[in-house]
Formats: sequence, C-alpha cells, structure tokens
Amino acid sequence: MSDRVRVALRTAPALLLVTVAVAGPWLAPHPIDAPVTAPYGTPGGDALLGGDQLGRDVLSRVLCGGRDLIVTSLLIAVLVTGIAALLGAVGAVRPAVGRVVERAADVLMLLPAVLGILLITLSWPDGGRPAIVGVAVVFGVPYAVRFVAGAAAPVAASGYVEAATAGGERLGHLVVREVLPNLRATLLALFGLRFVAAVYLVATTGFLQVGPQPPAADWALMIRENTAGILLNPWAVLAPSLAIGLLAISVNLAAEALVPRTGPRAVVPQ
Amino acid sequence: MTEIAVSVSGLTAAAADGRLLLADGDLEARRGQVTALTGPSGAGKTTLLRALAGLLPPGTSRTAGQVRVLGHDVLTLPDRDLRELRRHRLGYVGQDPGSALNPRMRVRRLIREVAVRRGDDPVARLLAEVRLPTDEGLEHRRPGGLSGGQQRRVALARALARDPEVLLLDEPTAGLDPALRDEIAALLRDLAGHRGLAVVMTCHDRALVERIADHAVALRPARTTATATVRARTAKPSSRTPSDTAALLAVRGLTATIGRRDVLHGVDFTVARGGSTGLIGASGCGKTTLVRCAVGLHSRSGGSVELDGVPLGPSVHDRSREQRRRVQLVPQDPLGALNPARTVGATIGRPLLLHRRATRAEVSDRVAELLGQVGLPADLAARHPGELSGGQRQRVSIARALAADPDVLICDEVTSALDEDTAETVLDLLMRLRERRGLALVLISHDLRVVARRTEHVVALADGRVTDTGPTGEIIARHRH
Repeated sequence: MSDRVRVALRTAPALLLVTVAVAGPWLAPHPIDAPVTAPYGTPGGDALLGGDQLGRDVLSRVLCGGRDLIVTSLLIAVLVTGIAALLGAVGAVRPAVGRVVERAADVLMLLPAVLGILLITLSWPDGGRPAIVGVAVVFGVPYAVRFVAGAAAPVAASGYVEAATAGGERLGHLVVREVLPNLRATLLALFGLRFVAAVYLVATTGFLQVGPQPPAADWALMIRENTAGILLNPWAVLAPSLAIGLLAISVNLAAEALVPRTGPRAVVPQ
Repeated sequence: MTEIAVSVSGLTAAAADGRLLLADGDLEARRGQVTALTGPSGAGKTTLLRALAGLLPPGTSRTAGQVRVLGHDVLTLPDRDLRELRRHRLGYVGQDPGSALNPRMRVRRLIREVAVRRGDDPVARLLAEVRLPTDEGLEHRRPGGLSGGQQRRVALARALARDPEVLLLDEPTAGLDPALRDEIAALLRDLAGHRGLAVVMTCHDRALVERIADHAVALRPARTTATATVRARTAKPSSRTPSDTAALLAVRGLTATIGRRDVLHGVDFTVARGGSTGLIGASGCGKTTLVRCAVGLHSRSGGSVELDGVPLGPSVHDRSREQRRRVQLVPQDPLGALNPARTVGATIGRPLLLHRRATRAEVSDRVAELLGQVGLPADLAARHPGELSGGQRQRVSIARALAADPDVLICDEVTSALDEDTAETVLDLLMRLRERRGLALVLISHDLRVVARRTEHVVALADGRVTDTGPTGEIIARHRH
C-alpha cells in the first residue's frame, strides 16, 4: 500500500492546483474587474497580493485566471498524446504507413509553432481558443509521433505482437491491446512534456493577446499587463508566473508517479 | 579448492501479492564443482538463481532465509557493491538469453564490451570456447541473425568473458542439439575443474545432471500448482477424418534470407492431414525460419506455401483470418511470446472470441479448460506473464494456440523450457488432440529422441537444405549408422 501512498502524494500538488484554478471564481474574495486598491498597490489589508495596473485585486485575478489556461493546455496535451500514440503505434505495426507518417512529420517539424500562431491570428482573428488548440495540435503531433514511433518499434517487433498478427488480429486490436498498454510509461512521460509545451504555447498566445482579451483574468495576460509596474508591486507579475511554473512542474510529477514501478512494462526485465 | 562459494539456507521469496515463489530453499555450492538445481516447472529454480545474482524480479521480496555469495549477503548489499560483485565475480545467463542481448550490437562488440583480458583476441577465444564457429563471420552478425541456440552460447561467452568466480546458468542447454549439449556440458565441467569456478545451473535434463553435476538440489513447488487434469475437449469432431492423408500444408522450393545471408535453399516440406511430422536439425540450420515462413511471419524470397491446395500469401497480412487460424505456431521463445501487459486469461480468451470458438459468457470456462489441458491450474488466468515461470509461459503459449482451434499446430522446441515430466504430459496431450480432432502436428526439435515416438514422418535439415526425409523409423535407423 505504500506504493499507493507514494502515488497519492505525488499527484496531490497537481490535483490541488487544478482544483483551485477550476474553483477559483468561487474562492476569489473580490470581483476581478473592480479596483480595490490604488494602481500597483502594495500587498496588505484587503488585498493580500496587492493590486494590478488598475488597482484590481491580484489574488482574485490569479485565482480566476488559470482555468482557461489549464483546461486548454490539458486538452492540447491529451489530443497531441492521443493522436501521436495512435499514429506512432500504427506506423510501428505497419511499416509502410510508418514511413509516410514519419516523412510527413519531418516536413511539419520544420515549421515553427509561433509562425502558425501568427498565421492563424491573421487569417482567423476571432478564432480564440479553438484556433489555439488547432495550431498547438498540428504543430505538436509531429514531434510526439517521432517519439512514440521510436518507443513502439521494439514492441511491434516483439514475439507477442507477432503471435497476435499470426493469430489473425486486425490492426485496431494490435495497436490498442497489444502495443499501447506496453507504452504506458512512455506515453505518460510524453503527456507531461506535451502539457508543459502546451502551457508555454497557450501562455505565449495570451501574452500576444491572441486568446483572452482584457479585462478577462488570465495568467499570461496578467504578466503582460503588469510588467510596467513590476517594481511597484512585483506580486502582480510574480504570482501568475509562479502559478504557471508550479503547474508545469506538478503535472510532470503526477505523470511520473503514475508510471507503474512493477508489473507490466515495455522493457522485459531480464 | 572446495571452499564454499554460495550458500543459501531456508530462502523463502514471495511475489507482491503474497504468493510464494520459493519455499525454504537450501543450496550450497563449492568452488570447482557443478551444482544442479532440479525440480518441476514453477518450483522456484529461476527465482533461487536470480536471488543468487541479487536480481529478484521487481515486486518480489525475501521473506525468510539467508543468501551468501562469495561472503556477501547479496540481497542486502548496497547497490554499488552489488554492481561491483556482478561485474567482476558473478556470471549470470538467464533462461531466455536472446532478450538479454542488445539487438543493435554485433556479436563481436557484445563480447568485447565485457571482456576483462584485452591482450589477446578475446572474441575468437571465447567463441571457440562455447563451440561457435569463428570462420563464418558469425561475430559480425547481430543477435537477430542468430538462432536460439547460438544466442544462448553468445550469452554464455559474455558471462565467461568477465572471468567470473561463480557462474549462474538458467537452463544452459535448452534448445541445443545433443552433440552441442555434450560439448557445453564438457565445457562447464572443464571450467569447474580447471579454472575452479563454482557453477550453479538449473536443468531439467536428468541424464545431463547425473553426468556433469557434483551435487543436485531438488526444489519442490511452494504449493502444488500443476494439477494435470486433462479433460476431453468439447469441440465437435472435425468433419475430415484422419485417414484422409492428402497434404494439408505443403511448402515447396522455399528460399529465404535473413539480412543478406541465405538461410533456406529450396526446402520442400509437407504435412499430412492429421499427420505428425518432425523437423530436426542442428542449432542454426533454419528450422525456425522455415516455420516462420510457413505461417507468414518471415517473408520468403522464393517458393510457395499451400494450405489445402490453396496458395498462401508470403506475408501474414496477405492471408485471411480463417487461413491464419488454421495454422498456429507456438514460438520457441516463451518469454517474448506473451504480452506482459495482459493477463493469461485475456491472452488465451482472445483467440476464442476472435475466431468465434466461444461466446463471451463461455470464455472464462473455456480458458480454465484450456489451462487444465496443458496442466495448469485455472487460477493462473488472473496472472501476468511476468509472474509465471518459463515452463508455465510455454504452456500458456500452447494453450493460446489451441484456443484458435487450428488444423495445423507447429511447435518450435516447445519442450525446451519444460522438465521431463511436464514435457511428456504436454506432448501426450498434443498426441491426444491429434487423434481426436485430426489436428496435424509439426514438432521441431534438435533432439531426435523427442520426435521419435510421436511422429510418422521426419524431415532433417542442415544448413538450410533438406538432407533426409522419410518415415520416422527409417530415419532413426539411418541416423544410428
């Protein structure tokens, strides 16, 4: 049971952070759009973390500003990992498909994600969240596919996949039942990495004001809005920055804890 | 030279779920002697051997007893010292050495990497020591280009390259033909006698143990696992009668390559309906490649394979599900052939559902029945392959092939990981199924004795060519002279 305690301890920070961010609007002591202090007011009294450029409560805005970022990043990470897992595993089981997928990934990898974001903002200015998710998935999948394909190749060459193939199994069963369960550790690590990459991308779009618009509360937007007053009330910038950093670290910690230590693994212990 | 190198007293090891893997194991091994561990499949032979190397499988723990190797308690030794001990003083070769060899490295580097004496050419010397040819470019191949028996000997050469004081071997002669087995046995005797090594090996070959071991330690299963209840199969009898002897599976002029090396040169091979055919030949002669081509797992470069007169595609992907069902292969390597992430029950149940041999409600009963047929208890269905012994895995692999209800069952060295009693039980089961259902059998073995009593027809392979073929009796008579 100590194993279960270990997993619980390591997933707790991520769960806590996500819960707080999702429940933030109900926990916030002040409305996010009404001033409670002077602009860049120092911490104290009513506002624990002081005020932002318009004197709004930083704590309330931090509590409310994470939900969109987290939900969007999680969605991107799930989509990228899921699509890459399927494409990578299919490619490993069917080498002909694998070659096409990998060459396509090679080409897409040459395009920087920021270029994609700029393109989408110019061509679809009102795209909002769906546009960001779309760009992040299109630009995230190629890297992830290469990653999964590399890990899936030895599994696809193993005796049990051969036995299943010779037994008459179709592609779907081979991928979902035979290959992917043995890549659990790899996929969880990939999910953690893609989540961090997604947070980075979503925060960048927020900073570029592609996503949420003022006066909405958003961690990335807060950093941008308040950088001018960083010397007057550093918390207005530090608090959302720390929140983003902690989020990335805690999600990776949780993903790592969920990797099985004993029992089924991709690598045969010998 | 009779200093005690290894001593184990009252060792009890349990899996994470509390299941006993080894109960009260005692062992003493001296320098200069060969100690053999015997016992039926699942008795904890491998667990004891791994405990000696300080390598208990993840989740397994010692619950009682002492293990001392060269004066150290290996199960409590700090990681650093344990690594040092394993690097310089212990040699361990697992039951399935093929999976322990890095597939990307050539034999030459595999051996050179661990060699301690770098002065002379260690590769040639060690290959000669394990009776591998040194003039055929074998050292430039990767493990994938070696046969099962050759991989085993490369792994042994790697262990010897470290110049160990204690050599731990898990079934060192499984999958080797009699001549090679005798040579390896002589090598082990020689290592013990002249270099003063303490050799500890598990072995299910009683004759071999009697010949080379100074001591034999018999282990008993922690609890009686194998209740060999062989029940009648409920499947309806095949409409075809066994007397119909037309060729069911016919391989004609088959050629195949591994990499750029030709391994089969125009092999003809037929299996009669309901017949039993033996395929014999020395390690590395192409037996496994031949049957892999027959089931479509290895692509042929020429020739044809026909089932019931219908040509089969070269790759398994070109064949219908029904065609795949009718020819089932039980592969040589029992460890890699089972998915580590799926339970035994799921593995065996899947072909039943896939080929509509049972409804969803019947599956668990049929799985229990199949497990019973191969002499395994029904509660094994909930376990993962990592929790089974080598012999148990081999039998699960057979049960899975039987679940597909095949017409031709090809068994590649199925008895190499089984002790003699279990091997007899499994082979007898195959014989009964053959009589009852008209199942055609192909038994591959390096050992003529295994196939002698159970086949009507034998094909002998050497260097990828058929050297002899005919009724079993005649072949045996010819090989005696």
